[in-house]
Amino acid sequence: MPATAVVLGQELRDLWLGGRALVLSLAFSLLLSAIAYLVATNRALNFLEQRETVNLTLQVAVAVGALLALLTAADAISGERERRTLESLLLTPASRLAIVAGKLVASLSLWLAAFAITIAYVWFLGRGVGIAGDALASGIVVGTLLAIFLASLGILISLFATSNRGSLSLSLFLLLALFAPTQLPSAATSGWAGDLLLRVNPVTAGEHYIGRIVVDGRGWSEDIAWLTSPLIAAAIAAALALAIGAQRLNLSGGASA
Amino acid sequence: MTPAVEAGGVGKRYGALVALEDLSFAAEQGEILGVLGPNGAGKTTAIRILTTILEPTHGSFSVAGIPHTRPAEIRRRTGVLPESAGYPERQTAEEYLRYQARLFGQSRAAARGTVDGLLEEVGLADRGRSLIGTYSRGMRQRLGIARALVNEPQVVVLDEPTLGLDPAGQRQMLAIIRRIADDRGATVLLCTHLLAEVEEICTRVLILNRGHVVAQGTVAEVAQQASAPRTATIRIAGEDNERTRTVLSPLHVESTGGMLRVSLDDVAPNELLRRLVEAGIDVRSYELEAARLSDAFLAVTGAAA
Repeated sequence: MPATAVVLGQELRDLWLGGRALVLSLAFSLLLSAIAYLVATNRALNFLEQRETVNLTLQVAVAVGALLALLTAADAISGERERRTLESLLLTPASRLAIVAGKLVASLSLWLAAFAITIAYVWFLGRGVGIAGDALASGIVVGTLLAIFLASLGILISLFATSNRGSLSLSLFLLLALFAPTQLPSAATSGWAGDLLLRVNPVTAGEHYIGRIVVDGRGWSEDIAWLTSPLIAAAIAAALALAIGAQRLNLSGGASA
Repeated sequence: MTPAVEAGGVGKRYGALVALEDLSFAAEQGEILGVLGPNGAGKTTAIRILTTILEPTHGSFSVAGIPHTRPAEIRRRTGVLPESAGYPERQTAEEYLRYQARLFGQSRAAARGTVDGLLEEVGLADRGRSLIGTYSRGMRQRLGIARALVNEPQVVVLDEPTLGLDPAGQRQMLAIIRRIADDRGATVLLCTHLLAEVEEICTRVLILNRGHVVAQGTVAEVAQQASAPRTATIRIAGEDNERTRTVLSPLHVESTGGMLRVSLDDVAPNELLRRLVEAGIDVRSYELEAARLSDAFLAVTGAAA
């Protein structure tokens, strides 16, 4: 079995049987339950349309699911360094690339689990208007691209971080920076500059694409251009994480990494 | 025969800081080479270079005949117990070792067999299914040794394997190390601060100081470099006292209550004894007070000053 698969298998066991991923998934479920309750209440009061309740829930699920992948990836290398278990891994003939790839893929399992949990909520909120299928399909595509993008960034930060706390803090800061434009008032995102800002940022572009399909009822291909930046960002970040990891994965981190 | 480990002019620099300079030595198959040095001498850097964790700035080395330009193959033939290694607290020893074995390319079935044998060998068979988090320091060190042997290595590198162990634990660890060399025929590089350990089990020693090799050879050869006096203490019949002094002239001889102490700086112990016997002197006892490795260590590292 290739070393990547061995590392992946062990990482999945550590994450899921070790309980860390289960706790995070439980917290995710509670959060989504609270969101679903709030949006369902608002819909009952006619403050929100049904499509908007689905959109809001799905966007939160994608954001938080990708966040879980990011945090897991950010801990993957700097955490092992801090626990002094990285050296025994580096002393095996497994290539640095295989180690990084195994850890990267394992961190994506958090997003997949989050999405699996999301299915029930989206189905429940979207029943009767026939949007659950499209919503889930757009959610898995956008969420997976964002999870790959963010988890790869997490791995890159973890590669160079000299402490695990630093890695997690920087990753969270980065995530907040990427999500900040989603909170801008619509006036701030109008015009060509606002449009460019939304399109260039993979997070806002992905969430916008989901909104177009779920709320506006647009077809898959009509706004496909909005997926460009998530797709490019995911591809570039993953390629960089693997290439740099293969060269620079070492014991000390920092500038020497 | 190709040495199991051979290094020529290996060095490591971090900018202007010289961590290791001109490390050159050879270790034969089955020998236990003690790597000594005070803190900051470059031992860990040397170990990390030889185990391919760090790349040398200059020089070259080979392990089991594999040049340093092929690090993955070196790792395949090397077992390492790093200094203060960490272990996954929530895994059992069996799980941890199986994972390591699989990273060395073993199948699930082969890994299971390897792990069972190793746990038996290091005396952890009855605790193999316990979480590592419940292990004592000594058990963790033995687990580390098992990890180092998971790939049937030709060269085993042990960095401070007895650190933090009580005397019984140290004895147990030394016995395991000796078995690695004797039974498995592996070459052991033993990095330690405990000179008594080195005198006891190492065939040769290498002393590093400030990144440089300052002494190497057998324990006896290195000990001879010590500045400490080496003497022979001879007990003879009282009437032979003056004649003995004449026979041994011009060597420096001190007389204390029927015992003569002779400096061995200018004569070999056997030559000294031969002279006495040939002169017909009644030698009732003959004891050598050799310099110890610790004397040599202090002398060559300048730590005695």
